[in-house]
Amino acid sequence: MTKKTQSLAFANLVASVLFIALGIWGIFQMLNLQTVKDTYAQPNVFPIAMIVGMLIFSVILFIQSILKLSKMDVKDPNVEQAESINFIKDKGVQGALIVIALCIAFVLLFRPLGYVLDAAIIGFVIMALIGKRNWVVMVIVSILIPFVMWLLFFKLLSVNIPMGPLTFLKDLIARI
Amino acid sequence: MDFGMLLSSYAEVFTSLQVLLMTFIGALGGILLGAIPGMTATMGVALLVPFSFGMDLIPAIGLLLGIYCGGMYGGSISAILIHAPGTPSAAATVLDGYPMTKKGEAGRALSVAMFSSFCGGIIGALIMTFLSPLIADMAMNFGPGEMFMLAFFGLSVIISISGKSITKGLMSAFLGMFMCCVGLDPTNGIPRFMTVKQTGLLDGFQFIPALIGMFAVAEVIAGVERILTGKEHTASSNEKITSVLPDLKTIGMIWPNILSGSIIGTFIGAIPGAGGDIAVFVSYGASKSASRHPELYGTGIPQGVAATESANNGCSGGAMIPLLSLGVPGDAVTAVLLGAFIMKGIQPGPMMYVSELHTVYKVFAALMLANLCMLIVGCLGVRFFAKIVSVEKTMLYPIILVISLLGAFSINKSVFDIGVCVAFGVFGWLMNKYEFPLSPILLTLILGPMC
Repeated sequence: MTKKTQSLAFANLVASVLFIALGIWGIFQMLNLQTVKDTYAQPNVFPIAMIVGMLIFSVILFIQSILKLSKMDVKDPNVEQAESINFIKDKGVQGALIVIALCIAFVLLFRPLGYVLDAAIIGFVIMALIGKRNWVVMVIVSILIPFVMWLLFFKLLSVNIPMGPLTFLKDLIARI
Repeated sequence: MDFGMLLSSYAEVFTSLQVLLMTFIGALGGILLGAIPGMTATMGVALLVPFSFGMDLIPAIGLLLGIYCGGMYGGSISAILIHAPGTPSAAATVLDGYPMTKKGEAGRALSVAMFSSFCGGIIGALIMTFLSPLIADMAMNFGPGEMFMLAFFGLSVIISISGKSITKGLMSAFLGMFMCCVGLDPTNGIPRFMTVKQTGLLDGFQFIPALIGMFAVAEVIAGVERILTGKEHTASSNEKITSVLPDLKTIGMIWPNILSGSIIGTFIGAIPGAGGDIAVFVSYGASKSASRHPELYGTGIPQGVAATESANNGCSGGAMIPLLSLGVPGDAVTAVLLGAFIMKGIQPGPMMYVSELHTVYKVFAALMLANLCMLIVGCLGVRFFAKIVSVEKTMLYPIILVISLLGAFSINKSVFDIGVCVAFGVFGWLMNKYEFPLSPILLTLILGPMC
């Protein structure tokens, strides 16, 4: 480790600041919440109590992190290093972000494409991304698994799942 | 205790084809997932819980208990064969299991693990059957104040599941409680942290999509990251498995360890928050100190495997005791089971022993059946499970992801829930990365509304 910013203590410091910011936002939201007449149990009482609890421990973590950072020697091998989140340099983080983007695309395309096609695409792309290179197996697995899952939910559990352009399969299976 | 009703409940569960099938599937899924290093029983339950929605309560509970018991045993397979515990609670099995494999006794170690897991599970289930009604009977005198304290006691478990930092654990817990506040205020019907147009959030964050997101989607994202940075290694095993059950001589050697391990496991499992990972080390330590030859522990002896594996599965019965008698989950998996009960309209707790006694007895029978299914599936498939430990993660992660996302949709047939699942997945990935424990959030999402 070469910099204090790579340590877990620094990551904790950043996290505590984010938690404090979230807490302050939450308190403002709750202070502006509509009140109800003739009741002690106002809708904002419980959330404010929970946010205050979160703020107290966030401040404790903030102070703990500051103290750790002030005493830290970056050359000490016992200093805990935080995992990277640098998406420019770190290949792993880039991959994770691609998976997240694929998941968001899955949500947006779920209705128009239907589950089987949507899942087949996402499954195939992730396999390609993480180094699977047997194309035949990739195509078979990425199509077969979503299809079997759909069949299971549709026939056994009677869950109606959007199928997009493959909606005709529902009628076909229903006839069998 | 109504023994007549207990027997009729057992008969009903053991003769129902649907319950048998679901418990069998659960045990199979649990062993498969448990055998793969990095996949936990909690993740197995999170993945398969959507399948239980269309079912009646008992087949659904049978499925979940099957995964639970199967997952507990499954973890030992990779611990014994490739020195990588499949689940955290199989960590102590490595100590003697892997040395046995190195001595060419992999088959014997696996058979001891399976037999001990089965005995531990059965003893745990028996203790649960006779002890939980007594605790529930005592809890019958509880008023609203005591019930609040009970829910609060459940939340105090957070301290024991906070991992390295209690501060971070409590931050996670308060964040979870904060998340519970999203949606309509249950007393006055005022929308909190949402607009009236956001109908998907009216009831707050749905528990199951959040669970699937935090424990399955987050693991897939982290797994992809590990593969791309070269941190994910797949070890393989070529061990030949010759026996599926231990011989009588071995059983004669290990039975005291099984007995003590099962009792220790059950009682530690009954303490909310203290799960299998603690019980196995306590049982191993107790077995070692009671032995005439403690120096042999760690060199590959069946007694070491028996002590840990019986404690491991004894925990499953133990964790059910506070769940059924007090309504407080013993660990993360029983927290999911609590969610499953609530969704079926049944509130576990002392009143369940009055209004739903038949259901309670059926749950006892389902746990017994789950252990039996685990033994059968284990015996039939041990050679196959020995191969699954080296399954390619490049195939596994995409499969888990597409099943998880479908599971999130299937609960309310809502695309919004898939979005919630993905959001919790990203959140869980970041929280894990910076060592913020997720279990307190899971616990507060369930127990928060009770408070």
